[in-house]
Amino acid sequence: MQAGLSKQGTKQKSVQVGRAGAFWLIQAVSGLLLVLLLLLHMVAHHFVVEGGLRDFAEVLAYVSNPAIFTIEVVFLIVVISHAMLGLRAVIFDLGLNKRHARVVNWVLGVIGIVTLVYGVWLAVAIQQL
Amino acid sequence: MQEIRTTHDAVRPKNPLRAWFDVRKRNLGSWAFALNRLTGLALTVYLFLHLAILSKLLQGESGWNEFLALARSPLFLLLDIILIFGILFHGLNGIRVALVGMGVGARQHRRLFWVLMVIGTLLLLVSAWKVFTI
Repeated sequence: MQAGLSKQGTKQKSVQVGRAGAFWLIQAVSGLLLVLLLLLHMVAHHFVVEGGLRDFAEVLAYVSNPAIFTIEVVFLIVVISHAMLGLRAVIFDLGLNKRHARVVNWVLGVIGIVTLVYGVWLAVAIQQL
Repeated sequence: MQEIRTTHDAVRPKNPLRAWFDVRKRNLGSWAFALNRLTGLALTVYLFLHLAILSKLLQGESGWNEFLALARSPLFLLLDIILIFGILFHGLNGIRVALVGMGVGARQHRRLFWVLMVIGTLLLLVSAWKVFTI
């Protein structure tokens, strides 16, 4: 992957700085987005619902709304990206060599994608109950 | 070529694990950094638990009702308050980190932190009241 904030062809060190900067920016922007999405999620799923949680029939009706479904999938993408990049930052701070860093990138990427696929599959499966 | 030298930064220390748990000579920024990391890790664990628990819906109405009974127990409600604390701290401190990192309010980041924490405390109290009365 090419570094987001540095020009192509720069030396390795600045490419790494650029990539770290790009990840920081993604983390900041996804974090700010999450503040809005999570607020929406908490209010719509819990605070306006009698008893704080919907019963079975209400959940099915709610998730079947295409607008809600879309917002939930966007929320899932943003929250998983933020969580995986956050984990990456914590693990990278421990000081990894290049090989381990690559393994961590792959493992977190796979966990993120599997979680996203599971989440979307679950939302679709719930609609078909 | 000019060598790039790393600066000493208490907020992003070289040995993070030791720094997270070492409470000596801490400034506000390093407390905020450590708590941001700890709440972030806890919220990540919660995200997976949350997604796993939603699979109870696939067991039909009885499966979901089992979860609802558990979710309305006093212990679970108490855990909800801890969760909301984590969300509020991580979210509000994150707003400060994002804004200051982008150059907004950098000179007043301490004041920004405390204003956000006061907002967070108020939201935590309102949420706690809501969780136990809804």
